[in-house]
Amino acid sequence: MKVNAKDIAAGVLLMLIAAVGLYLNQDHSLGSARRMGPGYMPMLVFWLQLGLGAIVLVAALFNGPDPLVKWTGLESVSLALGIAAGLVVWKVAPMFGGFFASTYNAVGLAMFVGFIVICFANGWRLIGFICAAMCLFGLLLEKGGLMLALIGTILVSVLAEPQHRERPLGILGLTVFLLALCWWIFIKQLDIRVAVWPQF
Amino acid sequence: MDIIANLAHGFGVALSFDNLLFALIGALIGTAIGVLPGIGPVATISLLLPITFGQPATTAIIMLAGIYYGAQYGGSTTAILLNLPGEISSVVTTLEGYKMARNGRAGAALATAAIASFFAGTVATILVAASGPLLTSVALSFGPADYFSLMLLGLIISAVLAQGSVLKSIAMVVLGVALGLVGTDVQTGQQRFTFGIPELSDGIGFVSVAMGMFGIAEIILNLERPEARSVLKTKVGSLFLTKEEWKRATPSVLRGTLVGSLLGILPGGGAALAAFGAYMMERKVSKGRHEFGTGAIEGVAGPEAANNAAAQTSFIPLLTLGIPANAVMALMVGALIIQGIQPGPRMVEAQPDLFWGLIASMWLGNLMLLVINLPMIGMWVKLLQVPYKFLYPSILVFCCIGVYSLNNNVFDVYMTVLFAIFGYVCSKLKMEPAPLLIGFVLGPMMEEHLRRAMLLSRGDPMVFLQRPISGTLLAIGAIALLAMMLPNLRKGKEAAMAG
Repeated sequence: MKVNAKDIAAGVLLMLIAAVGLYLNQDHSLGSARRMGPGYMPMLVFWLQLGLGAIVLVAALFNGPDPLVKWTGLESVSLALGIAAGLVVWKVAPMFGGFFASTYNAVGLAMFVGFIVICFANGWRLIGFICAAMCLFGLLLEKGGLMLALIGTILVSVLAEPQHRERPLGILGLTVFLLALCWWIFIKQLDIRVAVWPQF
Repeated sequence: MDIIANLAHGFGVALSFDNLLFALIGALIGTAIGVLPGIGPVATISLLLPITFGQPATTAIIMLAGIYYGAQYGGSTTAILLNLPGEISSVVTTLEGYKMARNGRAGAALATAAIASFFAGTVATILVAASGPLLTSVALSFGPADYFSLMLLGLIISAVLAQGSVLKSIAMVVLGVALGLVGTDVQTGQQRFTFGIPELSDGIGFVSVAMGMFGIAEIILNLERPEARSVLKTKVGSLFLTKEEWKRATPSVLRGTLVGSLLGILPGGGAALAAFGAYMMERKVSKGRHEFGTGAIEGVAGPEAANNAAAQTSFIPLLTLGIPANAVMALMVGALIIQGIQPGPRMVEAQPDLFWGLIASMWLGNLMLLVINLPMIGMWVKLLQVPYKFLYPSILVFCCIGVYSLNNNVFDVYMTVLFAIFGYVCSKLKMEPAPLLIGFVLGPMMEEHLRRAMLLSRGDPMVFLQRPISGTLLAIGAIALLAMMLPNLRKGKEAAMAG
């Protein structure tokens, strides 16, 4: 048998989402075919998805081989550590009150920490730093203002590309250019409602 | 004639200062992202969606449309000069176009691409203008059951024609529909799958899904591949075509326009499929077919005409039926809904400014693109020298600001991150994101129509087969699905997609 590992993972993912959907859908009344309740369409869709996922899974046993990239030990460990760190921060951060207890800051901080932790493994650096950069933007924007958020985002995002380390001046130029450009487009021209400088 | 008066009205709208300016901005942005490999129209349009809020609907759509067809012009420049497709739709242009450039006819190839695109754009625009009102009157006789079946057909065909496995594409469509269910149920007001998060009561943000799966996930995937951009060595040379070249290119342009216009209307079609189709056709029927592989001008003229024709005609199902034919059109639906306009057959009547203004601006935009591309080619070549390592932080910060300014809520930023990861995982598992986006947009509308149809039929599902329009549409969908099960056809599709 030529097993298609990618399709097996795809099938499992589809079935998993469908199963969670069907479980959550128990809260919604189905109604009848004539008068459909809020749960009717989700029921149809998730059962269909469960079936399709199963077909993908079965077909995957024969249409391979298409192996998945093997994770190194470090990659598995740092992914697990990243998720764990994220969960801990998510639960602990709101206890500090203030900034960490308001809006989605605890979630943002948890995601940021998690993404930085997975960057210990070389293979996760791209996705880790790019996502961490976006989370940092969310964390800094409302209190720190647009400029600080942009600087943070740019500095974290350039970590994803090793070529940048050889030319620190290039990063400086890029940062100054983007700060000016974003100020001109979003503040001067479009006038979006956001603080530009840090708020105290 | 009604259509003349309507077009005159459209030109009146399109020629206003603002609309002209934003058509130009759209065309310029489109050309720029077309030239640059690694960023496509889907990512760009989702990036700019939030910015269009402040604009009137017509101006917004005119600009976004300009980006889509502008990208078709720009993509060919990189393909011809660097043997690197700027867009998927210009993959086949590299085959003959780059050979022409190596033969010292780069200028001629660029001119052919631009003129072919302009001609095809003009014809396709007339086609949109003519078929719009016609199809609209047909669509007005559609009942809810017919609508449901039409959308189902659209989803099936878009999955069948998507790249990669049909089965997984269908599963992605269904997953998209499922994601579209999140939020408040319209009829009962009950919250579904929101986990008590107030931000989700209006549903998952469309921009978050599109930007995450197309914009951010694409950045990560692009960075994974080492940059393979060679330094430009070829000289552009004379832009003028010889008499012989004109004679060879003209029939190819005509054929490409025809193929492209037809494939553009098809749900799931669009510019990329049209270019492949036209290339296959030229290789079989054109007079210069024995020269293919050595720089045949037909291999540039046909696909370039086709991809631009398709970019225009793919607006037909959107403007007349409210059904997006591809991922870019799904974004247009999003843009319209955000503006408070429900896309559908009533749009031509209710929004004449938008419909006719858009058509007129498409032609004006094509004219601008001809000017932007031919004399200013040197400027676009310079743009190619911006390395991706400077480009991606810029795209990233634009994404962040754009998605935040949507609702002035950081929740949307984090949501986008989640969809970026999901998009990345999907691409690693070879699951296509485009069908998901179309399903996501059509899902809520399908549920509406399904519920209404079943209420009218008193719970009898046979109504979908008994109504002539609905029954026919479902039959076509079934045939399309069965056809893909035939091994021969599937191999043909794989060959076409592999280019």
